[in-house]
Amino acid sequence: MKREKIAIIGIGEVPTGFFPERSCKEIAMQTSLEAIQDAGIDKNEIDTILVTGALSDRMSFEIHMATGRMIEELGLGNRVKTNACIFSGGSSSANTLKIAEGLIRAGRANVILCIHADKLGTCGTPEQVENILRNAVFCPEWEIPYGINGVVLCDWIMNRYIYETGTTLEQIAAVVESNRKWARLNPHAAFRDEISVEEVMKATILTSVSTSAHFQTYTDGGSAFIVTSAERAKEAPKPVYVLGMGSRCINSIITTCPDITRFSYKEAAEEAYEEAGLTPKDMNFAQIFEWYAIMQLIVFEELGFAERGKAGEYFAAGKCAPGGEMPVNTNGGILAQGHTGAGGGYALLIEAVRQLKGQAGERQIPNARYGLYTSSGGSFFDCHVTILGNDSAAL
Amino acid sequence: MNRIADNKPRPEVQRWSKKFWESTKQGKLSVQKCMDCQQYIFPPRLVCPNCLSENVEWVVISGRGKVWTFAALEPAGVPRLFKDDFPYVPALIELEEGVRMASHVIQCDPTDVYIGMPVEVVFEKLDDEFTLPKFKPLIK
Repeated sequence: MKREKIAIIGIGEVPTGFFPERSCKEIAMQTSLEAIQDAGIDKNEIDTILVTGALSDRMSFEIHMATGRMIEELGLGNRVKTNACIFSGGSSSANTLKIAEGLIRAGRANVILCIHADKLGTCGTPEQVENILRNAVFCPEWEIPYGINGVVLCDWIMNRYIYETGTTLEQIAAVVESNRKWARLNPHAAFRDEISVEEVMKATILTSVSTSAHFQTYTDGGSAFIVTSAERAKEAPKPVYVLGMGSRCINSIITTCPDITRFSYKEAAEEAYEEAGLTPKDMNFAQIFEWYAIMQLIVFEELGFAERGKAGEYFAAGKCAPGGEMPVNTNGGILAQGHTGAGGGYALLIEAVRQLKGQAGERQIPNARYGLYTSSGGSFFDCHVTILGNDSAAL
Repeated sequence: MNRIADNKPRPEVQRWSKKFWESTKQGKLSVQKCMDCQQYIFPPRLVCPNCLSENVEWVVISGRGKVWTFAALEPAGVPRLFKDDFPYVPALIELEEGVRMASHVIQCDPTDVYIGMPVEVVFEKLDDEFTLPKFKPLIK
């Protein structure tokens, strides 16, 4: 029996960057209003609100949101049945979609508004922000006392991946170059200047294999999307269907991850392709979750777009950049659009939907029909692959 | 005098991992072992994650292993609170018993560290409460 699918009918996003005057509540409102307008619905049709909390302002934002702030702001009192926060770090968007699907299939919801907002770019000094993230990602007993942080984690993955595949530092640097080329075309991206492979390699040298250009920068940002049943979505102007979802939860800290050069993206992807009845060849783009350049190579291969160890050649040849045969991270990805905490996965989902709605402006992929996005929380403790399409024939 | 080391993060110990830290103070590396399914367990758990048995005991292990992966830091990549420790190489050590442990490779030139490098445990006193296991090249 075929399962009834869900669809995303509206999206909203604010520019990512450094906006000290813009509060999380303001981001939540701006993106929600844009998503409602984009979906072409009456706001009173919304019967469920799912919010992913801000790391920068966890208590205040989540408590306000969980106790109905958006219901008041949008005048939905006595209409909404479910209002709750869903959080799993960078994979929050994928888990929100799964929960939305369950609520819709169970008949408990018809139209669901999903929101993320954060202010990691301006909520404190870089060291304060680093500490917020450190405690969310690394183990306070077995990792933090050894100074294990993002730089170490990235190098652990890079050194092992280079050892197993022979990938070069130039090929890894080409990922950053490719992301920035896309960001140049994205007015919402925080880092829009182009950067060459040579410049990536000459940035501040942090270790034997990585420079400051391999890493994310924390920024303010947020987005919203509206989910409904595929059936109900057919009335919307440009519905984007969720055709397949695959996931694996692996571990809680990087030290206990069995394979840090593969994770479980292969298993998650196979599940998603099977549900969608599609293959890697059917995809017109991939939005890959990463806050280190190296992760894009690993996930690209595990998704079936290149053989093990060959992803570097794709990026180095410009095949994943604008005009290339397999576009990757058309919003610039987390590296170039900016890292907004749990919002990286939101931004990649929004970009996938935007491409499939034909609303990506200068970076629009011509005739995009199918695409996927991935997401992951913490120090890559889970792997989510979500396949989307604008073709109702694929339902 | 407020030394940098005084501000370094201390392990946040769980009730069921106390024995690990008592052991390192005595110069021994101990991990749990499930007496039902024989699996070595690290980090410490309340029950065996493989078979959920509560029949879990602490065993002293060899302290020998290999570098599974590493990060050869340059000065700009060293966290502020760890400047006094530099040079050191944060590494994932795969111990002979099969479990992996995050630690530092020390007592060698960082450029000499490689994947598969044989290492053995050394104990470094952080303060009266904590002694951290670290690793040095194994000289055969």
